[in-house]
Amino acid sequence: MSPQLLAFLVFIMELTSSFISILVGYQAFKGYKASSAKGLLFLHLGFMILGIGIFLRAITAVFFVLIIRTTETIPSSLVGLSNFAGMIFTITQLVAYSLFIATYVLQAKSLRQQNLEVEGSIAAAIFPVVRLFYIPTLELLAITMLGFVAVSSLMNWLHQRNLNSALVFLGFGFMFLSHLLFLFMIFDELLLFFGQVMQLIGFVCLLIMLVKVNKTRA
Amino acid sequence: MPREHKEYRSKTRIYVDVLDSLLKRGGKSGPTRLLLGANLSHERLTKHLTQLIDLGMVSEETGGNDRVFKLTDKGRAFILEFVKVEKFAEAFGITI
Repeated sequence: MSPQLLAFLVFIMELTSSFISILVGYQAFKGYKASSAKGLLFLHLGFMILGIGIFLRAITAVFFVLIIRTTETIPSSLVGLSNFAGMIFTITQLVAYSLFIATYVLQAKSLRQQNLEVEGSIAAAIFPVVRLFYIPTLELLAITMLGFVAVSSLMNWLHQRNLNSALVFLGFGFMFLSHLLFLFMIFDELLLFFGQVMQLIGFVCLLIMLVKVNKTRA
Repeated sequence: MPREHKEYRSKTRIYVDVLDSLLKRGGKSGPTRLLLGANLSHERLTKHLTQLIDLGMVSEETGGNDRVFKLTDKGRAFILEFVKVEKFAEAFGITI
């Protein structure tokens, strides 16, 4: 696969992911308006920030590629600017994942059920595995946060046992996997592509859930 | 949709329970059946029904000594929207 085709596919996948993220965020906002549930507000803000962040990263990447193609040497200011843009994007992701965590923590507090203690212990058992790959970067922090969200959604699925909660778990699970692949792309740049594929599969799972929910009849 | 175990019910949830109770009775019902269906006291049911009438989700018909409450199209649309919201929230583990 040529680098141009790879970059184009990554761009398309990012745009699709951001669109789905904004759709999920919009549905969460509609839910918040109807119910005033704080958890839905956090979900709305999280998915909106994530979607806009992914969209801006995709657009920024294209912008940088276009500039690079017109110049023979890459100016150092451009490298600094792209690093800055990357950092901004990672921070938007961290804010979004913090909001997802807040959603699950808020729900755990309101339920006050004993089975949540079990959830906590399983989550605690999984996190040392993540810590094995400890590198002090924001990306690793994102992985840890998304790991918590994925485990919480897994616990929710085990509790609810329905297809919608399974799709949400798969959504966050694939996003978690995509971040793991992004982390290791320093070894092989192709992992960026596979990471994008995983991220897109995750968002498609959320989209299927959204379509299923909207087909519901009273 | 009314819950079996005792827990705090939000105002929206009570509205939905009243509307759902009406829906299950073919879209119209007297106050006594609504009391049982929505699990509310007479005083609270009256208060919430007044609010639902003001919102245009329920209409009231009076014939002789009988009072009958009817679910409006707006009420039906609200239930459908709420069911979707509830399913969406449940998928993320959020109780509303």
